[in-house]
Amino acid sequence: MLDATGLMVFYENMLALNNVSIRCGENQIVGVFGANSAGKSTLMYTLSGIMEDIRRKEEMAGGERISVLGRINYLGEEIMDLKPAKRAKKGIVLCPERRRIFKECNVVENLRIGGYLASAGQAKKTIEYIFKIFPALEKLQKRIGGFLSGGEQQMLAIGRALMAQPKLLLLDEPLLGLSPLMQAVLVRTTKEIREQKGISIIVTEQYARPVLPIVDYAFILENGAAVLEGGRDELMNNPDVRSAYFGI
Amino acid sequence: MNANSEQRRRERLDRGIKVRSDGIYSLMSYRELCYLVLPRAVLITGMLILPLVVPTYWQKVVSYVCIYALLTLSFDFLAHFVGLVSLGGAFFVGTGGYFAAILNTVLGLPPLLSIPIATILGAFICTLLLLPCLPLRGVYFAIVTLMYPLLFTRVIEALNILGGTDGMVGVTNFTNHYFIIIMLLAFLFGIRRLVNQDLGLVLRAVKDNDQAVRASGMSITYYKTIAVFIGSVMGCLAGAYLAHVFEWAGLSSFALDFSILPIAATVIGGAGTLVGPVLGAFILVPLNEWLRDFGTLRIVIYALILLAFIVFRSEGIMVYGMRKYHQFEKWVKV
Repeated sequence: MLDATGLMVFYENMLALNNVSIRCGENQIVGVFGANSAGKSTLMYTLSGIMEDIRRKEEMAGGERISVLGRINYLGEEIMDLKPAKRAKKGIVLCPERRRIFKECNVVENLRIGGYLASAGQAKKTIEYIFKIFPALEKLQKRIGGFLSGGEQQMLAIGRALMAQPKLLLLDEPLLGLSPLMQAVLVRTTKEIREQKGISIIVTEQYARPVLPIVDYAFILENGAAVLEGGRDELMNNPDVRSAYFGI
Repeated sequence: MNANSEQRRRERLDRGIKVRSDGIYSLMSYRELCYLVLPRAVLITGMLILPLVVPTYWQKVVSYVCIYALLTLSFDFLAHFVGLVSLGGAFFVGTGGYFAAILNTVLGLPPLLSIPIATILGAFICTLLLLPCLPLRGVYFAIVTLMYPLLFTRVIEALNILGGTDGMVGVTNFTNHYFIIIMLLAFLFGIRRLVNQDLGLVLRAVKDNDQAVRASGMSITYYKTIAVFIGSVMGCLAGAYLAHVFEWAGLSSFALDFSILPIAATVIGGAGTLVGPVLGAFILVPLNEWLRDFGTLRIVIYALILLAFIVFRSEGIMVYGMRKYHQFEKWVKV
């Protein structure tokens, strides 16, 4: 479905992504694991096209020069030159790190903003679906986004991304700063979304343990390079991975 | 984004001489010394010989330029080092101007006394009046600074005090370009030094995250008060000097021009560089005079130039120039 090859991103002269190639098949959950500064977020920004936006802003403000190289093939089409909005229309939707929900809108409004690309019927159905998979949100419909707890905000952020009718959902550190219980809920729901909606998901995380059981395939990033890749079981049994990303 | 088969990117590196002369205490050669001193020397000598070389008609413009440059410096300092977007140019100029006029005409003080006293007194009053909105962040400061000049013009008009609509006439003429140029240079280098010292660090921290500053046990109101005082000293000095150049202080001392032009100059010069905005004022004010022949059309030309700058080079002249001076670029294979 998505096949990115030779992605390289430079922030000025610093190499943030070094020749990273990742693939994601139809209806697959792909994990990307790495420590801080491994390049996970950069990878997500590059895939979703936000990087192009950041690059232009930096250029206008006279800041760092960002160079992005490589190819991204999505559904048989080269999308490297497409703007983020076009990519979202084609179904690549990013659920950004640290949630970034609209803090002054309430829950339903947040979801509706996310549903800008969807038709009215689709939006209605998706909202119902989101309330079904996240029952906690249903009771908070009129709550202002900024007053939600971290876990609720993350649910809302995933819900908002779903409203854009993604074919490929990019989840950037969805478990950041959440309690183990909330993590388990989100992981379970992520799996449900894949099964019920048939969406492919790429998820990044620092700590692989909660997420690894649901991924089909995973990549390990280190200092901007993909050092290891493999199926779930293969990685689970790899001693290096176990010590570095499992804490065992 | 280029995805051509031959992958190249433009690399940007610091010049060797910059790296070598960055540690200012270890200059090894005259070349490095020149590299450091040259831009500053050009600026200072350029300003000092300016009154000698410009034609008679433009002599007065030199003073205007410096007045606007001071206001711009005040705007840039408050906006980009303290996080207070100030539209208070008019407020500062008006307050400083009226104080100078009162001190000079009513008390009979000579200009060399009335200007400094008006500056300090004016800055004190400005700070006091702006104090209520300092604990807040957001647009409040901008709104309040914009409202005071409007308020004062109406008060002076309605109560017919301080000369009413005619303004205060008979202020002693004091047009000394070197006075204002040296003041400008002193403030420029003073502020540049200030923002890198402890106080400046706190001020920049207030801009970045005032809650964290509060959490570190510092009163943001106190530090903002100091910053506003410094900013209004520059503004009031400009106003007091302007009153002595015009030999008059009146309602148009509160004109909105004094608030708007500094913002434009900052955009052109490069926000947050301090020198850039001053250069911006040195471009915009003469341009303003030069375009006077076009009548009201000059506003159109003016607006177009500003627009072009914002759209095509929003980084500003100074940021661009500094990058070209300090760094070089080359293509490298990836």
